[in-house]
Amino acid sequence: MSQAPSTAVDGEISSSLEDYLETIYLLVQEQGFARVKDVARAREVKAASVSIALRKLAELDLVRYERREYIALTPEGEKAGRRVFSRHRLLTRFFEEVLSMPAEAASEQACAMEHSLTDEAMVRMVRFFEFLGACPSVIESFRQCPMVQDRKTTAHVRMPQWCSVCAKKKEFQSMSLADIKPGKSAVVTKIDAVGALRQRLLDMGVLPETTIDIERVGLGGDPFWVRCQGARLALRRSEANSILVRTPE
Amino acid sequence: MSPTDSPAASSQPATDIRVALAGNPNCGKTSLFNALTGARQHVANYPGVTVERRTGRCEIDEFSLNVIDLPGTYSLSSFSPDERVAQDELTDAPDVVVVVADSTQLERNLVLLAQIMQTGANPVLCLNMSDEAQAAGQRIDLALMEKLLGFPVVETVGHRAQGVADLKRAIARAAGHPAGPSRLVLGETMDSAVASIRRLLPSQEHAIFRSDWMATRLLVGDGEYGPRVAAMPGGQAALKEAERQRTRIEARTHADIAVFVTERYFGFVDGLLREVRTQDSRVDARQMTDHIDAVLVHRLLGLPIFALVMYAIFWLTFKVGEVPMNWIDSGVQFLSGRLAAFWPAGSPSLLRSLLVDGVVGGVGGVIVFLPNIVLLFLGLAFLEDTGYMARAAFLTDRLMHRFGLHGKSFIPMLSGFGCSVPGILATRTLENPRDRIVTMLVLPLMSCGARLTIWMLLIPAFFPPAWRAPMLWFIYAVGIAMALLLALLLRKTLLRGEDAPFVMELPPYRLPTLRSVLLKMTERASLYLRKAGTTILGISILLWAATSFPKPSHYVVDAQIASGRITVSATAGTGDGRTRLSEQDVAGRRKAEDLEHSVAGRIGHALEPAFRPLGFDWKILTAMIGAFAAKEIFVAQMGIVYSIADADKGSEGLRAILARDYSPLVGLSMMIFLLIGTPCMATVVVTRRESGKWGYALLQLGGLTGIAYGLSLLVYQVGRLLM
Repeated sequence: MSQAPSTAVDGEISSSLEDYLETIYLLVQEQGFARVKDVARAREVKAASVSIALRKLAELDLVRYERREYIALTPEGEKAGRRVFSRHRLLTRFFEEVLSMPAEAASEQACAMEHSLTDEAMVRMVRFFEFLGACPSVIESFRQCPMVQDRKTTAHVRMPQWCSVCAKKKEFQSMSLADIKPGKSAVVTKIDAVGALRQRLLDMGVLPETTIDIERVGLGGDPFWVRCQGARLALRRSEANSILVRTPE
Repeated sequence: MSPTDSPAASSQPATDIRVALAGNPNCGKTSLFNALTGARQHVANYPGVTVERRTGRCEIDEFSLNVIDLPGTYSLSSFSPDERVAQDELTDAPDVVVVVADSTQLERNLVLLAQIMQTGANPVLCLNMSDEAQAAGQRIDLALMEKLLGFPVVETVGHRAQGVADLKRAIARAAGHPAGPSRLVLGETMDSAVASIRRLLPSQEHAIFRSDWMATRLLVGDGEYGPRVAAMPGGQAALKEAERQRTRIEARTHADIAVFVTERYFGFVDGLLREVRTQDSRVDARQMTDHIDAVLVHRLLGLPIFALVMYAIFWLTFKVGEVPMNWIDSGVQFLSGRLAAFWPAGSPSLLRSLLVDGVVGGVGGVIVFLPNIVLLFLGLAFLEDTGYMARAAFLTDRLMHRFGLHGKSFIPMLSGFGCSVPGILATRTLENPRDRIVTMLVLPLMSCGARLTIWMLLIPAFFPPAWRAPMLWFIYAVGIAMALLLALLLRKTLLRGEDAPFVMELPPYRLPTLRSVLLKMTERASLYLRKAGTTILGISILLWAATSFPKPSHYVVDAQIASGRITVSATAGTGDGRTRLSEQDVAGRRKAEDLEHSVAGRIGHALEPAFRPLGFDWKILTAMIGAFAAKEIFVAQMGIVYSIADADKGSEGLRAILARDYSPLVGLSMMIFLLIGTPCMATVVVTRRESGKWGYALLQLGGLTGIAYGLSLLVYQVGRLLM
């Protein structure tokens, strides 16, 4: 592995060694001990391969292992094994509970990713689960969304314009000036434009909390003719789209 | 320096004061500039960009004011060429910067003042259009404002030259007693951030690089100045501090930094106005404008009214313009007649030919456009000064934007139906260079008035009466379609990029003053004559040489007369194997031989193999080379090639010969080539002038000619397969 995750020990240990550590850690947790044949069975490999791996782990001072004896984890080894396992559990939960994948597929996916998850990503993910614990409605509305329930494997599914659960909230948050009818007013909440357009809008006094009245719209719905800070401005529909607004109280 | 030092000012050499005029667009800055400097002004372009640089002079007391009118800008960011030019001029540290503000729009206009105060300039504030603001009920305590700001504040009415004397005195006062440190207060958060960045700014020759303004530009992450400061020794530290302050402010205010800074400016203006505005406007100064707009940009009436306005302007330009054009034409005729009279009739003198056909003809070719240009710009200056131009852009933008153009491209392109030259000059109303270049490049595709004479010759020659009107319509339609498609193509390829912001102010309607309209008009006319005129004259002399030299040593027609195959008589005709020609016919034949023998004729011959797949022979090609001087010359040149004396508009003789020699398919191919290919030399030269690069002019010439070749080839070859 080119980008080995930071580990408790100095030097890099391969993802396959990490897998062994994890297996040993689990065996010790479950049955109190781990033998070569237990490890071989759990990992579906030959005993000889296990021996080679154990020798390497012993060199790294992660396990103590004498021939025909039980495998014991050093304190360092136990720490590393726990670390890999907790990542595994976290990732499995994420794929299973959040993304609604079947248990087995979720675990497989977790196995593949657990080695490359950085400490920072892990901390973030823990926070995320803590947040979900506090605000379960968020994940509920995500699961209910028809788009999420679509089981097609293609990445791009047609996003529904309005999700029934959140329709009200979304309208409030992302209404743009282009959605306002002539004769109506709106209050600017945010300017989404960049570069020259953003600067021009700011120069014209299109700032958060200013009121804009739409006075007329050109034939065919473009451009807009608005009143802002006492001046009259013409702007294209595409430009009005980048001015987020709310309806005035 | 101070006025008290020199009591005998008149006898002393004047002190030169460099004054820059800054202000928002539509604040009446240019009329104020005109009032200040009178006719003593000079208009040129900034090198490399098509932004006009206006300078002028005036005197006050012992000062000689050297005034420069900066391009109108809403702020000092660096997104448009106008803004960059304005910044560069300010970097040059003028002695006094007059900030002109529209009194009816102070909330927004004074934001620029705040920025200019930040640059460390020595400002004078000029509240322009104060009459309108006062009529609406606004009262400003000027004395208090001066006290608060720490520099002179005056009220003016630029277009009526009111308060101009006050302004001059204020400039002299500011020059004598420069303003102290800026009294701008933008709030604790902003001021401390700016101060901590400014402390780290590297020392530079230009004071502006050490100013609060520069610190503010770094704070908002300016793409122009950031890298420039970074490249200076020690600049990295300032940049790092700017980033730290930005993060700090954004975290504290939960706002984007650019929004935060802009709000601070508006906040300063708000606070200032609260102090000095003793009475706010009681009536909406825009009431009248709103009433007019209710009609002029009415949902349904807007476009028909616009069509009428444009019709009126074109009628003025091209119909009324015909009268002075005829004067110029007869003037040129008269002049060449008088000039020719110095030589005996029929003299083959080279000098005579050079003067009469080359110089007088060339100059005539230049000034003959003058009435069109003057009148079109009279109309356009009127539209611009009243404020209708912005409405026209509002009405046409939807259509134009589909093809990657701007609403303001519409009027120049429409002008192109009259003549490409004033059309290209009119693209100056477009602020964005990219929009302007695209408009300029495709503009020659609008079939101009000169080409109408070609259609008048060719269409009746090749098509039956029932087809004539549809053919004329078809040719115009092809031109328009090609222009729009090409514009779209250019915006997708060579001139690709984000659309420039359309966001445009719709100023209140104002009555233009005669003075400003006339000034604009004469400016255009003199720019055209001075800059384009010289080049066009040069090219027309070259073309004259190409169609005149070398002369044949003897004429075939003379040999035929000598051998008796042709007899010269009063009545032309044929009989008993002999051709009877009139004296005039013989002269015509000689001229045809001259042309065939000339460089142009030879080029025509040389090009023939390349153009045969289009159905063209050397005669057509030679006439086309001549037509580069001016499109309508094609008709005259075809006349010479076929030695039809007096081949003018709708000459029946020439039409009959064309119908005999060429198929209608060749006619169509010819028309398409003349429509699209080889814009005339005046167009190419003016494109060069207005775009600032020969590259664009040559792209226009080469590109259009290439497309014309391809399309004519397609039409001719497909047509032959079908027939």
